Amino acid sequence: MGSRASTLLRDEEIEEIKKETGFSHSQITRLYSRFTSLDKGENGTLREDQVNFRGFMRTLAHFRPIEDNEKSKDQNGPEPLNSRSNKLHFAFRLYDLDKDDKISRDELLQVLRMMVGVNISDEQLGSIADRTIQEADQDGDSAISFTEFVKVLEKVDVEQKMSIRFLH
Amino acid sequence: EKEKKVNPKTRRGNARGRVRKDSEEEEETRTAGQRRQRNRRAQRKQAGKEDSDSDEESCKTKKNRANQISKQQEPDEGADNNKGGRKGRGKNETKQEKKPEEKGKKDKENKKKDKSNKGSSSESESEEEPITEEELAKLKEEVEEKKKLIATLRNKPWKMKKKLDILKEAQLFVEKFEGALGKGKGKKFYAYKVMMTKKWMKFQRDFENFKTACIPWEMKIKEIESHFGSSVASYFIFLRWMYGINMILFGLTFGLVMVPEVLMGKPYGTLPRKTVPRAEEASAMNFATLWDFSGLAQYSVLFYGYYNNQRTIGWLKFRMPLSYFLVGVGTIAYSYMVVIRTMAKNANEEGGGDDTSFNFSWKMFTSWDYLIGNPETADNKFASITTSFKEAIVEEQENRKEENIHLTRFLRVLANFFALCTLAGSGYLIYFVVRRSQKFALEGLDNYGWWERNEVNMVMSLLGMFCPTLFDVISSLENYHPRIALRWQLGRIFALFLGNLYTFIIALMDEINLKLEEEKIVKYNMTIWEASLYNGTIPENATAPPIQVDPADVPRGPCWETMVGQEFVRLTISDTMTTYITILIGDFLRAVFVRFFNYCWCWDLEYGFPSYSEFDISGNVLGLIFNQGMIWMGSFYAPGLPAINVFRLHTSMYLQCWAVMCCNVPHERVFKASRSNNFYMAMLLFILFLSTLPAVYTIVSIPPSFDCGPFSGKTRMFEVISETLENDFPSWFGKVFSYASNPGLILPFILLMVLSIYYLNATSKSYKEANLDLKKKLQSQAEENKKR
Repeated sequence: MGSRASTLLRDEEIEEIKKETGFSHSQITRLYSRFTSLDKGENGTLREDQVNFRGFMRTLAHFRPIEDNEKSKDQNGPEPLNSRSNKLHFAFRLYDLDKDDKISRDELLQVLRMMVGVNISDEQLGSIADRTIQEADQDGDSAISFTEFVKVLEKVDVEQKMSIRFLH
Repeated sequence: EKEKKVNPKTRRGNARGRVRKDSEEEEETRTAGQRRQRNRRAQRKQAGKEDSDSDEESCKTKKNRANQISKQQEPDEGADNNKGGRKGRGKNETKQEKKPEEKGKKDKENKKKDKSNKGSSSESESEEEPITEEELAKLKEEVEEKKKLIATLRNKPWKMKKKLDILKEAQLFVEKFEGALGKGKGKKFYAYKVMMTKKWMKFQRDFENFKTACIPWEMKIKEIESHFGSSVASYFIFLRWMYGINMILFGLTFGLVMVPEVLMGKPYGTLPRKTVPRAEEASAMNFATLWDFSGLAQYSVLFYGYYNNQRTIGWLKFRMPLSYFLVGVGTIAYSYMVVIRTMAKNANEEGGGDDTSFNFSWKMFTSWDYLIGNPETADNKFASITTSFKEAIVEEQENRKEENIHLTRFLRVLANFFALCTLAGSGYLIYFVVRRSQKFALEGLDNYGWWERNEVNMVMSLLGMFCPTLFDVISSLENYHPRIALRWQLGRIFALFLGNLYTFIIALMDEINLKLEEEKIVKYNMTIWEASLYNGTIPENATAPPIQVDPADVPRGPCWETMVGQEFVRLTISDTMTTYITILIGDFLRAVFVRFFNYCWCWDLEYGFPSYSEFDISGNVLGLIFNQGMIWMGSFYAPGLPAINVFRLHTSMYLQCWAVMCCNVPHERVFKASRSNNFYMAMLLFILFLSTLPAVYTIVSIPPSFDCGPFSGKTRMFEVISETLENDFPSWFGKVFSYASNPGLILPFILLMVLSIYYLNATSKSYKEANLDLKKKLQSQAEENKKR
């Protein structure tokens, strides 16, 4: 299976992905084999969201483990996709459903409903959302901005939690 | 060598679709051939070092797993995520661990080839150079640094090739100079010692892994925890712990008492005490008799009466009575030790929680574990997120409750008053019923019907069924935090069950006294019967040969110890049956009824009256604790009791796990269990203490039966100890013992122990205060930071 996968992925593509995401050659080939095993219909995209391999890698780039020596490499270039700030941005965008750079109470409610379903009553969900905003909100606008989000997750080991651990 | 041979196969097996470096494989096969010519010691040293690297790394993950598997529920996020994701992640992780390990080991082989070439030459070089003190110290530092590097190399996010190069370099360095640090002959021994330490650590790690994998029912309990919360799961964890203790008790009684008797004692039918009496022979094998534990079951190794009082049995000269006595004492001592040790361990783990200020935010944003790959685990994780939200809600509600202090206090006092009334009422009822049953017993039980005969049991069961519900209703007045309400509930039902215990013991003591009276009569009759055997020949004629009598025909004394054992066994069995039937009817049939009759019923059965039952934590925990108390009390008189209990706990576990998942719904208000089981342990300790009292009393003050059991013929059971001291130990031992048991020595010793207990208590109190102070400081600092 490994050999079949690598022939479908051209070397120039691998180089492009490498530049964009920072994964190494072997890591990219490995992830490609995983991608093909997920892609049941074998049409080059993952079913529901029509994500092709490039998009897949772009998302996964956020989850690349952070390496020590990279910090010193290029301070001048654009921030690599897997920096702590970018990881947090990725997570933030998960909750900010309407992309207005704020997590409002309604968005929290929607996310909560997806998380726990009907097992908790709506009013309790509302209280949870209110309480979350109360904990995080510092400037009093009843919504969580990206800076407030970062402050909340200050003590959480995001680098470790949002990293793939099966690549070396 | 075996490790290296295994490497290629397992790597092939593990690496699914992973691109392998062909060059590495070639090196592998090459070195395999050349390997054998290498310096053995150096090889093993390398192996040892690599293992230590993997040791340290896996130590962390091992510790993580051990933390999760521990009995304590960790409420913080990390642990929850770990627990949920462990199943799916575990496979990935173990594979990862194996791969780098194997890669590392493969590296070793590569290294060996190179190192041996350089190593031998460099070793000889270093030996020739004189090493000054300074250089030695500097060398030592460098060696330590390199060792640290080797240990942490796995964590570094470098490319594999770079890691391999640096590893090779560092290992060469350490190998070259570590040997130089030991002096001369000591060098070899030092290297050998280092290698053995590392092998030992590896063995320990593997053993830990094995032990963790052996923990029974772990997945079942995790599943229950995700769906029902940590409080329900704590009951099952407690059950599992009890199972462990009972296994040990079973091992002791089975191995040291029952097995020797079966193997080396006289078989069934040779002695009067070992045979079913003629009168009962007809019904000895009926199921009804066996179920009642009389008949053939009574005259078996299960009960005290079967054992012979021969001082030694068999070719091993196994001292049966001594063993019986010591096992009895030993089981109690072991139980005390285990309970107190567990309490102490739990007390340590209580402190040190970090109350964060972002409780809900963290639950919202970081609950899900993205590494879950298994659908079942995902379901469990989903349920556990819900549960953790519910728990957090309950905690919040409790914190925010606006208390009208006076009303609450009044209600609580009222509730306690009601509870006390109930307890007093049930106490009096029990006392009354026991008195009546004693009266019935005096007049002969045959005159009365079924109700009178079983009155005591029925009253106890009815009380046990209805009073807890009553206490439940009363507790709704009190408006406590659910965790505290549970404790009150437990305390009250405990007091109720103590009444049970009291009646049981009273009844037992009465029966014992009866049997003792009977015994005197039987003894008197025995002489008459023996005389009749001799058919008029004068008993003093010692030369008359003893007439052979079939053991079944010999008149028997009533064996009160066997009777006591039987009572305990019957009680355990009936307890078990009651629990199982309650589960089947109360939970299962009810759930079936609600589920299927809901379609054709006027009101909604699921939300309305019966609905599905919730798991009754307090009732079950108390049942478990009292059951164990019975076992402790009865195992001296019925060595087979721990075996029965092990079987009962085993089936209980499966039945209850199934019943909980199938018929119960989670509580309305799911609350986090307290971090330690100490409340349960405290009750267990109390019951243990209460159980030892009757046993000790009967051992010390009631004379054993004259014709059954291992102590027959003695005036007191503990005389077996003094007998052993006289006969089996050298004479000076007896003297030493008598000196040591001099009150002049014992009293100061007791005084010393009391003083040291006081001292330790005082120091621990001061530590606790210091702890609290530090915690407060931390909290205020965190708040200040947040404000900034």
